[in-house]
Amino acid sequence: MKVKIKQWHGVASWLWVANDENCGICRAPFNGCCPDCKVPGDDCPLVWGQCSHCFHMHCILKWLNSQQVQQQCPMCRQEWKFKEGETT
Amino acid sequence: MNDNSAVLMLHGLPAAWDTVTAALVSPSTPPPVTDESVSEALTLLCKKGLGQYVEGWLLETLQVSLASHVAPEFWAGLQQPEVETQERARAVALLEAFRTLLRRLQPFLCGLERLGTWQDEGRAGLLGPGAHGLRERAFSIIRAILLFSPPPVLQQRVLEFYSRTFSVYMSQMEEQIEADDVAAESNGNDTCTGCAAAQQVCWCQDALEQLQEFSHILSRLQLLERVSSEAVTNILHRLIEQRMEQRCRGEYERSFLSDFNEWLEQVLGWLSRVFASEVGEAGSNTLPTDGMLDYIGSTILQRWRCHMQQFFCRIYVNMRIEELFSIIRDFPESTPAVEDLKFCLERTNQRQQLLTSLKSAFETRLLHPGVHTSDIITVYISAIKALRELDPSMVILQVACQPIRKYLRTREDTVRQIVASLTGDTEGCSELASELSRADPVTLETQDSEDEGSDPEEWTPDPTDALTVDKTGSKRRSSDIISLLVSIFGSKEIFIDEYKTVLADRLLHQLNYNTAREIRNVELLKLRFGESHMHYCEVMLKDVADSRRINTNIHEEEARLPEEEQPSVPLSAMILSSEFWPQLKEEKLELPAAISKSMETYTHRFEKLKAMRTLSWKPHLGSVTLDVELEDRTLTNLSVSPIHAAIILHFQEKGTWALEELSGVLGVPQELLRRKLALWQQHGVLQEESPGRYSVLEKASSRERPDRGIMLIDSDEEGDSNTTTQSEQREEKLQLFWAYIQAMLTNLESMTLERIHSMLRMFVATGPGVTEMDVNELQAFLQKKVRDHQLIVSAGVYRLPKTTQ
Repeated sequence: MKVKIKQWHGVASWLWVANDENCGICRAPFNGCCPDCKVPGDDCPLVWGQCSHCFHMHCILKWLNSQQVQQQCPMCRQEWKFKEGETT
Repeated sequence: MNDNSAVLMLHGLPAAWDTVTAALVSPSTPPPVTDESVSEALTLLCKKGLGQYVEGWLLETLQVSLASHVAPEFWAGLQQPEVETQERARAVALLEAFRTLLRRLQPFLCGLERLGTWQDEGRAGLLGPGAHGLRERAFSIIRAILLFSPPPVLQQRVLEFYSRTFSVYMSQMEEQIEADDVAAESNGNDTCTGCAAAQQVCWCQDALEQLQEFSHILSRLQLLERVSSEAVTNILHRLIEQRMEQRCRGEYERSFLSDFNEWLEQVLGWLSRVFASEVGEAGSNTLPTDGMLDYIGSTILQRWRCHMQQFFCRIYVNMRIEELFSIIRDFPESTPAVEDLKFCLERTNQRQQLLTSLKSAFETRLLHPGVHTSDIITVYISAIKALRELDPSMVILQVACQPIRKYLRTREDTVRQIVASLTGDTEGCSELASELSRADPVTLETQDSEDEGSDPEEWTPDPTDALTVDKTGSKRRSSDIISLLVSIFGSKEIFIDEYKTVLADRLLHQLNYNTAREIRNVELLKLRFGESHMHYCEVMLKDVADSRRINTNIHEEEARLPEEEQPSVPLSAMILSSEFWPQLKEEKLELPAAISKSMETYTHRFEKLKAMRTLSWKPHLGSVTLDVELEDRTLTNLSVSPIHAAIILHFQEKGTWALEELSGVLGVPQELLRRKLALWQQHGVLQEESPGRYSVLEKASSRERPDRGIMLIDSDEEGDSNTTTQSEQREEKLQLFWAYIQAMLTNLESMTLERIHSMLRMFVATGPGVTEMDVNELQAFLQKKVRDHQLIVSAGVYRLPKTTQ
């Protein structure tokens, strides 16, 4: 007997490779989107800081904009720096 | 003159009395005594103060004669034994009896007339009630004695006579109408349609003449109303009923109102004959002017016309109420019947009856386990459409359909059915789909706002039978089908969730990325349910579109690879945003290495495409198209689920597998595996050579016939749905509350069901699940916990078992 597969339609779900499930700022799942967005994924990406914490991009930007003096990671209070090359 | 008075004086009072009484009771022409002498006598009597007794005496005489001779004679005439057998003879006897009656009473009537005239003129100072008053008194005496307790024979005879004349009249009317049609004449029937006698002895004409005389006599004696009303009412009732039974029962597609109105006018023609002499009589006696005469006639007829309309409406409404269920079922074909019913119902006070009857019809004919949910929904939709025509205030709809709504709430598949028909999936009820795509939809958001912008002038109060318990009573009742259906469950979330599930199933089943129809549905639903609620569905559809793009991308990339690096399995994927899809069933399945490898490669390419993102495959979901080549035959383009494909791929490597062995390799429980194997057994590719051992059937000829395929049908029902069922989802939602419940019980030790429920509502009010959770559901959940020994219940109070504290 020989089985020839012509087409295999699989089903998968995508997920962020992150060390946490929820965004530390909005508490919504990373795989969902930030409160201001409607569509997850490309339209509401994650960003990583050099401290290795990650957030919804929109969330952390909003946070950083609200900080007058120094820009810190809301999780570890280190100075916030975007991790190079890993933003989408 | 002097002579006369001398004579009178001579004979004295007795003579005067005789003269007067003779003048009154035997007015045979020529009068035996001259007018003058009567006057003299009268004057004398009055002088002696006897004038007042004349009237008393006359009435007394009438009464005595009536009681002793006239009435017995009348009844005897009516009941002559020799006429019992023949209808025509009975009619004659009836007439004859009344003729005699009139003849016997005639002298008294004339006498009364005379005395009345004297009184009116005040002759010789005679006082009294006058002609009119006397006549009234005499007639009440006649009525009292004659009809005090009439034997039933009179009504029978009158009824029979009227029925006959009625049919004669109607058949003549019809002949007049049909006279235009020449052909209509020769119907080959030698009995007359009017009198039901043979043509040669037809007595139609006689009957009509008799009718005229009969009416005349009755009205002379002022007995017309007394004698005829009951019979006429009876006849009209019966005839309308009969006609309606013949014409209208079961026939809903035609309006009968104008038909019946025409027919009633004809009947009125007959009535005018029955009451014609009443008209004439009234005219000649008291109202000499012609204009007034018509007026009287028309008031009587007018009264009867109203009666008849009333009869008609009542009978019609009764019949239609009985048939209302069928009418609703046939709607909109039965629109004319509904319109007729509406017209008639407004004129009779039978709404309550209609409601009761319709409710019980629903309960006996629709709301039992033998009826499919989709049929109930179809009838409900028809009912909405029909009843909103019938009663624009929607009260009937609201009240009568209460049982349906209640019942639908108890059916598990209601939501699924409604959603399926909304999206046009089921064959039967496409109404909902078209209702959905109707222009100018009622948004569910705004439908219950108070200020609908309707003119306050057009406001009408609710009918009295409106449900007062209903809190929404003051609000405008919605007649929108979809809103009504959705409101069965009180919240639209449950529908949206169900739609999400249906949509997910559909998208995961077809896998061809063709979403035009779904997009349309989602757009339509958005108009109804509001943009925000359909947000998840939009993301789902977007996922499909994105998946297609990613697939194309990856496939293009693969095509550029050298031959040997081309993937062995053509793989495409549906990539979901897991947060936005309904919970998918988790099932374990180890796919064959080749497939897993392809998936891994695919994942790598995806990761390259979308940085920092990866894929988590759902190995059991999807579909596979494959060919199976056997020694003597090839099965092409089979479309199977991944687990089926995995099974057959394993058999490719090794011809025979034991069940437990295969189960170990696939990571699938044996029971499930056995069921899945059945598909290949049905295709005749595999056989179970000994219990628990399966092998490939290379040659079709070696297959045993007849095979046991019938028993082996893949009865995997939940295989149809990739998503968890509604109840499972609910269960999970409730599971969330378990922590709260435990905490509450730890602190408060024991609580009643109601307490727990209200506490949950208070504290966990933010979640979407709470609004949908009712006490019963919670109770079921707690019961389950009790069964699992996680909870103790005694005397309606729940507490945690000691050991867990």
